[in-house]
Amino acid sequence: MKRRFLEVLGVAAVIVALVVLLKLRQSPVTGQTPAAATPARAELTAGPALRTPWNEPDLQGLWTYDVEVPLQRPSRFGNREFFTPEEQAQLDQERTRILGQSDRRYSSGSEQDVGGAYNQAIYTTHKPTGRRTSLIVDPPDGRIPPLTPEAQKKRAEIRAFQLALLQATDVCKQKLEGCSGGTYGPPSPRRSEIPPHYLTVGAAGGPTGGGGVINRSDNPEDRNLGERCMAAVLPDFGGNTGFMLQIVQSPGTVSIFYDTGQGQGWQRIIPMTTNPHLPSHVRQWWGNSRGHWEGNTLVVDVTNFSAKTYFQGSQENLHLIERWTRLDANTIEYAVTIEDPTTWTRPWTVKQEYKKQNDSANRIYKEPRCHEGNFGMTALLAGARAQERAFAQGRGPDPATICTAGCGGFALGFADTGEDSNPLTR
Amino acid sequence: MRRWSTGSMIAVALAAAALATLAAVISLSITRSAGRGSPPATRTADGKPNFSGIWQANNEAHWDLQAHEARPGAVTQPGVYPYAYAQVPAAPVLALGAAGGVPASLGVVEGDGQIPYTPEAAAIKKENAEHWIDRDPELKCYLPGIPRAMYMPYPFQIVQNTNKINIAYAFTSTARTIHLDKVDPPPDDTYMGHSVGRWEGDTLVVDVTNFNGKNWFDRAGNFHSDALHLVERFTLITPDAIHYEVTIEDPKVFTRPWKISMPLYRRLEPKMELLEYRCIEFVEEFLYGNLRKQQLVKRWEGDTIIVDVTRKVPAGDKLYEWYRR
Repeated sequence: MKRRFLEVLGVAAVIVALVVLLKLRQSPVTGQTPAAATPARAELTAGPALRTPWNEPDLQGLWTYDVEVPLQRPSRFGNREFFTPEEQAQLDQERTRILGQSDRRYSSGSEQDVGGAYNQAIYTTHKPTGRRTSLIVDPPDGRIPPLTPEAQKKRAEIRAFQLALLQATDVCKQKLEGCSGGTYGPPSPRRSEIPPHYLTVGAAGGPTGGGGVINRSDNPEDRNLGERCMAAVLPDFGGNTGFMLQIVQSPGTVSIFYDTGQGQGWQRIIPMTTNPHLPSHVRQWWGNSRGHWEGNTLVVDVTNFSAKTYFQGSQENLHLIERWTRLDANTIEYAVTIEDPTTWTRPWTVKQEYKKQNDSANRIYKEPRCHEGNFGMTALLAGARAQERAFAQGRGPDPATICTAGCGGFALGFADTGEDSNPLTR
Repeated sequence: MRRWSTGSMIAVALAAAALATLAAVISLSITRSAGRGSPPATRTADGKPNFSGIWQANNEAHWDLQAHEARPGAVTQPGVYPYAYAQVPAAPVLALGAAGGVPASLGVVEGDGQIPYTPEAAAIKKENAEHWIDRDPELKCYLPGIPRAMYMPYPFQIVQNTNKINIAYAFTSTARTIHLDKVDPPPDDTYMGHSVGRWEGDTLVVDVTNFNGKNWFDRAGNFHSDALHLVERFTLITPDAIHYEVTIEDPKVFTRPWKISMPLYRRLEPKMELLEYRCIEFVEEFLYGNLRKQQLVKRWEGDTIIVDVTRKVPAGDKLYEWYRR
């Protein structure tokens, strides 16, 4: 019986690790080589036009990114847009060193180590560091703009709830990073409360994440979107687990399959139309896209997001203006301006470059089958119920004292803080 | 005024229905002439028949591929009389009333209308039908597979280019790519199959393989194994209709190849676009509700929902008060 319980916990641990991983996806990402981009742009006007048989710009093929660039610029680089080649090499060296260590875990058997084995086994390599110091090109400091007071309040309310659910665990007792901002104490009565906001974050919360990972599994809605197999969001910058885009066009339509989030992919359709957006009460997880061509650039306006979507804290008021430009035969530049006046004090812009992949290689799985194989959700919920039963029968600890999610520690193979943390997000 | 005769009620209802029909006809004709600009091109830039657009089957194949009479529910139980033809809906669909019934159909199976199951497979099909709610992958929002995705009651969009044809399905935002160019075999078996297409004159012929055997054909328990091999044929019969036929082979389940066929219709609404049906969220209670700390369903037996249907007419319901006089 005890062994089965531990097995359930083990499966739950893997799930938690996955969740942590998916949530962190939104920070470090891909990269671009602007030096190559400039001549490529000239080539576009000079060389043979990359156009479809009906004479529209041709974006088709399989695409992904091949270098890693953090979403936000590490503050030590200030307003500097590019790393020097020496810095790039040094960052690669440092990441290789950290990911090559065999002890990137909390002590084996501890609660904090639930995700350790997974992360250590999976995250052993990394993409080369790109030249850009951040995917964010505006504002000039490469950082997400400050939150509005209302977004700060919401984030603080979620964080307070997360901390209340962690406060009786060892994470707070040992003052680990997962408890940052909180204190150790007896089980909180808030454990039986409904969360202050509907929690739809795709990844971990943490002190600054503002996300919704909470240390509780009363029901599927307590778990985050990654664990519920619905983590795919727009905009999507790939993250540590990468993505593959397949673009197919016909006159009047651009279709993009996002093979993303380890089996959480989805099919996007961009109608090229001047029709107005959907009625404002019709909301969708991935919003409502309206495309048009501006020269060689596909410009897409995306609105009508659901209140259940979650991108860096923005939900139903998210508005995207995307620009997809084929720079040369092997490169697409993706630029997106992100605005939500209820979340950020100003709009911000991200740029990423995609490289064309071999079309015949069939690298795209087209199979978002996370949900079909989601034994993890069953394990998380069944594990929590088993813990409660064991406690009620005097056979186990109070579930309020056990950390199963949001505990922090070695996500994606890096430590939370210190010299073994990820130098690209430190 | 307060005591209308039944006759006058019926007359009013009929007149209203006639008006509504007329209005529908009028609005449809306006749509066709003014709402739509030019009709879709029947040929692509490279001279092939043009299948691009939003399509949907308009039949009962998603309920049952085979010819069947209407029945009161997808799951039924004996009623007052112990006859097989006098069933009433079973609890899970009972509360839906007439919306829970299964419409009749002439079926889409060609020839004698029979599906040539091996004896063992026929027994599994029968069990599948009896345990529809527990077993049908559609109810769990799993990837629907081919050909089922082509005739589910949701629209899908074909995006056709020279080398690739992408089909986007509203149901669970899934997709498949038909490769007209060279492509390696997929790295694993799949729910949605591996589709390789070619042109035979004006017909698009698609060979679909590499299934994982976890899909069904319909809500009647018709199923296949991982040995499924499909040959689909798409032929444009008007600018707004495709003749779609599929030859189905699966030596583990069927004794010979068999064929289904049906028209697929263009969605002609002028502002038609594919909207999300992200059903993963919709089925969490169905899949995991028994593991909730605070149960929403009143009674579970293991992981089976026991539905006690109580239908209470709210006080003041005008229709019922009129009906009861």
